[in-house]
Amino acid sequence: MFCIAAFIVLAIISIFSASHRKLAKKAWNCTLRRVTFRPCDTSFKEEAKSKLLSRVANKTPKLVKTADIGIEIASFALVIFTIWSLLVVMESGLNLFVWGTCNPNNASSCSLTAETCSIDKAQKGFWELASEGKPFDWFVNQAETLGNTIANIPARLQSWNASDYLPQNVTYYYAKDSAKPVALEIIDPGCRVCMQLFGNIKSAKFEDTYNLAYISYPIKSAYDDNKYKFPNSYTVTKYLEALKINPLSNQKVSPDWQILEKIFTGEDNKGVSYQVKINTQLNQTQTEDLIRSWLSDIGYNSDQIRQIDTDANSQKIADIIKQNKQIVDNKVKTVKIPTIIFNGQRHDGLVKVNDLHL
Amino acid sequence: MFSKKQDIQNTTDRLPDFSYINNSDIYMDTSCQSMRPQPVIDAITDYYQTYNACGSRVKYKWGQKVDSAVEATRELVISYLGLPQKEYVCSFTLNTTFGINLILNQLPAGDYEQVITSEIEHNSVFLPTIELAKRLGINRKVLERADDGSLIYTKADINKSVVVVNATSNIDGRLLLNIKQLIQDTHAAGGIVIIDAAQAAAHYQDLLFGCKADAFCFSAHKMYAASLGVIVIKKDLIRSLDKHFVGGGMVSAVREQGYDLLPDDLSSWLEPGLQAYGEIISLKRAIEWLSEIKPQGLKPAEYIHKISKQLYDGLSEIPGLTILNKQPSSVISVYSNSIDAHRLAIFLSAAGIMVRSGYFCCHYYLIEKLQLPPLLRISIGLHTTEDDINKTIKTLKKVLKA
Repeated sequence: MFCIAAFIVLAIISIFSASHRKLAKKAWNCTLRRVTFRPCDTSFKEEAKSKLLSRVANKTPKLVKTADIGIEIASFALVIFTIWSLLVVMESGLNLFVWGTCNPNNASSCSLTAETCSIDKAQKGFWELASEGKPFDWFVNQAETLGNTIANIPARLQSWNASDYLPQNVTYYYAKDSAKPVALEIIDPGCRVCMQLFGNIKSAKFEDTYNLAYISYPIKSAYDDNKYKFPNSYTVTKYLEALKINPLSNQKVSPDWQILEKIFTGEDNKGVSYQVKINTQLNQTQTEDLIRSWLSDIGYNSDQIRQIDTDANSQKIADIIKQNKQIVDNKVKTVKIPTIIFNGQRHDGLVKVNDLHL
Repeated sequence: MFSKKQDIQNTTDRLPDFSYINNSDIYMDTSCQSMRPQPVIDAITDYYQTYNACGSRVKYKWGQKVDSAVEATRELVISYLGLPQKEYVCSFTLNTTFGINLILNQLPAGDYEQVITSEIEHNSVFLPTIELAKRLGINRKVLERADDGSLIYTKADINKSVVVVNATSNIDGRLLLNIKQLIQDTHAAGGIVIIDAAQAAAHYQDLLFGCKADAFCFSAHKMYAASLGVIVIKKDLIRSLDKHFVGGGMVSAVREQGYDLLPDDLSSWLEPGLQAYGEIISLKRAIEWLSEIKPQGLKPAEYIHKISKQLYDGLSEIPGLTILNKQPSSVISVYSNSIDAHRLAIFLSAAGIMVRSGYFCCHYYLIEKLQLPPLLRISIGLHTTEDDINKTIKTLKKVLKA
């Protein structure tokens, strides 16, 4: 193990120091012998170890044996950690390719990925599972995650057609123009990155180029299945879906899109973004009141608003939201919100204005 | 570990000609090459700076000065060995190994029936004698050496033989105490004796002095001069050699299909090509220096004997250390069953003590015959002080506790 550990260390040092390359080559020869199950070149191993121990030998000779064992243990650990790191890097690279993030269980934690609101999955760590007496579950979880990633490689390579993933009740930003291609974005009304994407879409006049549709996908909390990542996202989604089945005539922009636009671009009289307000200051009732006030501004009368209230809280809307979730989870299989499908490609996370010109 | 006062004492004890040695450096590998005293360094520097010229072939004044110095060196070397100038010549080459090969590879076929060597030889003797036996198609014998270093032989062993042995072992310093008898017996049996004097030339001149072996090969760099091989060879032997290594600087005439060697310059017959003149000149100064210096008022050999005994006695007291030597010598090899010699050498190096570890090119004797682990070899010289030895023993004692 010492030879392999020495090679790892010397190989890294050799990147910056030419004087260590000869030594690294010796260590490599030794490593090559080890990995081909031949004995290591003892002269290199002994020489390198002895050099490390020489200071101890001259100061506290009785500690040499202990230090010798310590070097072997440290070498073993270094090799194990290096192999582990390599595997993690390889897996992360694969994840990045397939999911657009190096950690599909917590996409926003990956610094290599575009800005996103991740659909997190709470997975217990090794030590947590070990303390519960189920350490092997950790390996099973890792294997499942890896297997799922590998299974999704073909999906990443496919051509994406937004029309294949449209929800049951679809509304476009403007009335559908059959001459334009369809684009579909999957958003969470509470997601800050979705708000940024909406800004980019407007800047790129993307909604003029495409028949822009959306699926509102309230991200569930990773730790509590009855809660959402953004507390009022489900409430907003209910109303958006209710508006789809209660359209208002003579509207250039469909009412649900107008509500989304209010959330993403509007501010209250104190200059607080409505999205921030809904996420952090309002409870469910206050959120519903706010939406009602916007509906009134759009032109809905009180009867219509009551109907929308009723529909929003109906089983029918609940089922629609559930179906939409299934599209996202099982067909699109994204772990990043927003996700936008257009021009034959799927883009996970924030898309830059220039990239929306495609 | 050592007080400042002791360090100063250390400096005071050392010969002034080695004052350039850092007090924290203790060099104990003189069997490989000795430290060079300042006068020797000055001599070679003087050559490079004031008369840097080729010898043997030029008429300008620098060249003449070189020729004069080289000739003086040849004479001094022969005198240093107590040999008659009219019977011997001195040639220069690369090192002891090269010198031995130069002679053995040119020995004519038919003159000898066997080649004799001993078990404690350096590869520089052991391997060329194997090749000689193959080339001439003759028998080769490896004889034992007695504890005092004498070669154990019968008259039949040396009949019409080429005997190649060392005068001093580079493992344990054993001396070829019966060298004169061996030469006499070998000559009487129609053979020749070639002495590997690499370890003997500097510190055991008395052993070699006046021994009329057919050839001596040794290294100037083991006797305080610059890197150079030396061959002192009988004129009769050099005349008998086949000439396989030939070239510039050794001929008086060259024809389309032949040449004539310089008839009056036999030393050139073993010196094809340009020589290392600066190194040759440094050897002259080294031999002069050896005759001049008196460390602690003693002759060099006496001083070496004194500190060798101090080293031997000190090492003998260290528990767990096995000494190969039967008696003190400037070369002492040891081993410990608990710590590998290479590791010990590295541990000592961390304390500034430079010693050799391994088998010192004596693979046959140490690995095949004695089946020993790698050894630690401590070899001392005239630059070595008593404090150097004390510190080495103290450090060795300490690191052996590891």
